[in-house]
Amino acid sequence: MQALGVGVVYWPILDPLLREPGSPATVVEIEPQAFWEMSHDDRHGWRYRPNEALLDELAALPQAKLIHGVGHPVGGTVTDPLDHLNLLQDAVTQLAPAWVSEHLSLNRFERPQGGPEPLDQVEHAGFLLPPSQTPATTRVAADNLQRLRSAMDRPMAFETGVNYLRPQAGEMSDGDFFAAVAETSDCGIVLDLHNLWCNACNGRQSVDEVMARLPLERVWEVHLAGGMRHGAYWLDAHNGRIPEPVIELAARWIPKLPALGALMFEILPEHVPTLGLDEVAQELNLLQTMWALRAPRLVHVAQGRPAPPATGHSRPEDRAAVRAWECQLAAALHGEAPADAALARDPGCALLARLIQDFRRANLTRALRFTLTTLLLGLGEDDTEALLQAYARHSPPQPFAALEAEQFAAFVWGHIGHWPHLPHLCEVLAFEHALIRASVHGHSTQLHWSVDPTQVLEALEAGLLPPPLPPVHSVMHIQAT
Amino acid sequence: MDKGSLSRAPALSRTVRIHVPSEVAYDLERMQKVTASVLGKLGCGGCHSGHVLEFVHLRDFVINPKTLDVQEQFIGH
Repeated sequence: MQALGVGVVYWPILDPLLREPGSPATVVEIEPQAFWEMSHDDRHGWRYRPNEALLDELAALPQAKLIHGVGHPVGGTVTDPLDHLNLLQDAVTQLAPAWVSEHLSLNRFERPQGGPEPLDQVEHAGFLLPPSQTPATTRVAADNLQRLRSAMDRPMAFETGVNYLRPQAGEMSDGDFFAAVAETSDCGIVLDLHNLWCNACNGRQSVDEVMARLPLERVWEVHLAGGMRHGAYWLDAHNGRIPEPVIELAARWIPKLPALGALMFEILPEHVPTLGLDEVAQELNLLQTMWALRAPRLVHVAQGRPAPPATGHSRPEDRAAVRAWECQLAAALHGEAPADAALARDPGCALLARLIQDFRRANLTRALRFTLTTLLLGLGEDDTEALLQAYARHSPPQPFAALEAEQFAAFVWGHIGHWPHLPHLCEVLAFEHALIRASVHGHSTQLHWSVDPTQVLEALEAGLLPPPLPPVHSVMHIQAT
Repeated sequence: MDKGSLSRAPALSRTVRIHVPSEVAYDLERMQKVTASVLGKLGCGGCHSGHVLEFVHLRDFVINPKTLDVQEQFIGH
């Protein structure tokens, strides 16, 4: 096949860059789950809902497409109880990617006491977490990758992940682990050089040592991104330009990747306004320069060996060993004492807990912005912090902003009697909660406002508590159709 | 009698409408904007391995707006 070239991971804010004549992007990578929602109705129960209109728009983009999963990583044993493969298959059919990739991470824990429904028995981790780097995980990941490849009917690759933990006693090196997963699964590699550089900066194996162990002919795609310092750590934050040392690594290794088919820049949408679209275009021009270092050739993307027998690569004891790691990690992140004392002492666990907290609060900020603003203004920073921490202890993370917000709304309703002095908190929370209930459950709500709601929301949007307002009683009906 | 059903969600969400009685005087266009803003952000947060700073930005904006420019410069390097 022809190599696809240079591109970006898709966000709607990047549309102008992709649609302009002579766009510097010749390929666009889509993360389907980032555009799903979860919804519930009595007939279907809980299910994912894709954004079909957006998929139609993406299919019409002139760039070649790649699909990069972000919701169903292959490094763990806990599967998603909701149907996701059909939605991913639909995206593959519509976008016709040359290959599909996922993360070599885990993002779900088992909750044996969670309740009778399958969804209650799984806890979302709130983050992509590192797997244990063992032969057992290698076999489990290979099975997961081959199942995905079989379902997608496309070549499959995995991304080399970021890992903020210290190397665990007895685990495989980063390079040996990535190589073993690639060879066992007969899959490709999405080489994230910023992730590898983060890992090296944070005390793990050097990038050159990792690269020396990788089967370079399996690297189909390279990811480059920016990051930020946080205390002693360098974070893979996708927040801006590519650091110079990562550019140097890319320039050195790209000529040595014989099957490289795509070179991608990653930036999160909330950072695009700060960087600017022109600067994003400049980063893509930089990638074009690096792409030119690659000897032009046709790229062979392995279709992969036929799926293994039903028993797969992994044995029951492999899955038990991986499950034990998941339990240890869950305990450490929940603030309980894991059996592994070294993991309990690892400052990387505290960092992960902090990043999960950020992720949850960001979701609340998106879906309950006016409620959170009222709390911050009315209670102050310290009491709001205490409230958010109490909520986090009370309720597990949710992968979707709507579900996190619905859970938090229920928590706030349970305490709202403590804050009768906060102007219009009940009305603002009821309004935002009603929008979420309409979207997620299709429920309609009748709301009563004692004042003009637009004046309340305008004040909050300006970062101010609403002033005393003249009474204007109105009834508002929020209806989902 | 409805004044109108002026708010709807972006394509991702169910269609969500706001109905108010015809005698209500407040700005429904404004409510439409707010509704679309909330409903457009209910999905999965996407892939990241670092800080997601939206709450920090909101907190700084609300508690001490004057620090926000400094924060932005730090975040954006």
